[in-house]
Amino acid sequence: MEQFLSAVFAGTASGSIYALVALGLVLVWRGAGVINFAQMGQAMFSTYVASTMIINGYSYWIAFFVALAVGTALGTAVDLLVMRPLSGKRSSAMLASPAMRGTVPVIASLGILGILQAAAGMIWAAEERGFPAPVNTLGLTIGGTVMPFTAFDLFVIGIVLVTLIITTIFFQKTGMGLAMRASALNPEVARLSGIRTSSVRTLSWAISGAASSLAGLLVTPNTNLSPNTLDLILIIGFTATVIGGLDSLPGGVLGGFILGLVISFVNVYSSPSDIFLAILALLLIVLLVRPQGILGSKEARRV
Amino acid sequence: MFKHFQKGNAIKSLIFFALIFYFGKVFDPYNQGQLSVVLIYFIGILSITLLTGLSGQISLGQGALMAVGGYTCALVVLNLGLSYWQSIIISAVVSLIAGWLLGITAARLSGPYLAGTTLVIALAIPSLATRFESVFGGDVGLSVDFGNPPEWLSGAIGEIGYEQWQLFAILPFATIALFLALNIFKSRTGRSWRAVRDHEIAASLTGINVQRVKIFTFVVASGFAGLAGAMYGLRGIVGPSVYPVSLSLALLTGAILGGLRSIAGAFFGAALVVFLPDLIDKITGGWELAPQVGDYLPAMVSGILLILTVVLNPAGIAGALHHHKPRHK
Repeated sequence: MEQFLSAVFAGTASGSIYALVALGLVLVWRGAGVINFAQMGQAMFSTYVASTMIINGYSYWIAFFVALAVGTALGTAVDLLVMRPLSGKRSSAMLASPAMRGTVPVIASLGILGILQAAAGMIWAAEERGFPAPVNTLGLTIGGTVMPFTAFDLFVIGIVLVTLIITTIFFQKTGMGLAMRASALNPEVARLSGIRTSSVRTLSWAISGAASSLAGLLVTPNTNLSPNTLDLILIIGFTATVIGGLDSLPGGVLGGFILGLVISFVNVYSSPSDIFLAILALLLIVLLVRPQGILGSKEARRV
Repeated sequence: MFKHFQKGNAIKSLIFFALIFYFGKVFDPYNQGQLSVVLIYFIGILSITLLTGLSGQISLGQGALMAVGGYTCALVVLNLGLSYWQSIIISAVVSLIAGWLLGITAARLSGPYLAGTTLVIALAIPSLATRFESVFGGDVGLSVDFGNPPEWLSGAIGEIGYEQWQLFAILPFATIALFLALNIFKSRTGRSWRAVRDHEIAASLTGINVQRVKIFTFVVASGFAGLAGAMYGLRGIVGPSVYPVSLSLALLTGAILGGLRSIAGAFFGAALVVFLPDLIDKITGGWELAPQVGDYLPAMVSGILLILTVVLNPAGIAGALHHHKPRHK
């Protein structure tokens, strides 16, 4: 029973991080039609910045917000330097067909991932380092009994919930959020009604950058930090978005929690080496049974 | 594929064979080994050229199919005791079947879905090796090799070094792969793949069964990847560390840099990916770089080249060379 409970709590905590990653992926997919495989590379980079600040004596929270700013800046830079010039090439022979329009930005994002990992390796010598948590990561003790969750688990779940609430309010209540939803729904009509769709695109890259760097900050206390550690998180986040539905923000979040629980149970009841196989099985089942994902809309699967 | 056998393709393949054979004679052992890797990457990249360049389906998991080829080859060599070339052929056939299974799933997917799914496959397949350790040898892997050069060959061309024999064992298969790819490119099959890539609906209106073409593309491409993977393993070890995700990404990088829609581009890309670290080493040799900068420089350069190619010169090296000629699109 205790094992079960601790699996549930660990799964919920890591699931909320995967939900953040999925949120970042869905934002860029809806805003720009690109799956950003460099996303956790950006997060890795900003987490290294935070780690370096903490090592040099700055407080956790200053480093935390600087990392979010770096993540935002990286997201913006990726759009302005690579993705926008690329989408200007829509008429070239290589991008002429819809199949290739989906494929080429993926390749570009892999290039960005390579550059970020190489840069991090050059700057920070690629040694694996730990990353601090702001609160205790040992089992929480209440009234003398050790709980099946840690203070850090609660911190993660809390901060992710706050982020999700803020995001929801942003999309439902603000003009900018409305503009983003309109551009995702129909860029042509959005442009005609006076929305600057290219700025909206850049904004979705920026928000996605911030969300993923938050995910990086929250996941590294448990995984340690090296140029490649977050690759796995990206794979999990991607699977979460496919399970939930690539074009649905709630779907991505739901997928993140599902995956968090599944991985946690595989970890506890089987062995960690089965995680990849579990992810693959889950992904294939969803793709074969419900290809648009749990909450995705059918036409979102751009053919 | 074979109906449209063309004399020109046979001649091109023979010239290729002769050129590589010549380089194999004049290179030093280190570069003979590198040239072997170029040939293997060439076959691997051809599988991406066919899959992505010709039919518009992306795969980030060709390394996993190489692993299927490699493990099949090692298991056949170790358990059935067949010779290396028999095992290579069996591996290619088994990879065709694996590609068929993959293709059934993949034909329903496109763009980023396909990219992500194949990436997950690239991660999951090597972990099977540790899951079923008794069969696949776990993290250590299985050790296999090409054996010794046959006497008739060393009798004909003189003493053959270890690296040289690897190269000469790989060369015939690379030549056959080249010949097949050339034929596919110019055949009715290749044209139907291109039609599916450019416009699925239009393709289906001309009577092409789009799903079947997509699956068939995966089957053929997997055959190439499995062939490459078998020989990649025969260089010494078949294990998870031989077929990491980065192998899949290196192949894709080579395919893009060389030119995604060109067979010559596949070779340029393979050569570039393999020799880039040596080249950078040579250039920066006198600069006294910090070791970690030197370690990551090739990855940095290929990342930058990848983005520059995609944004500025999508047709790659081959496209830039053939800019003035009318091209097959």
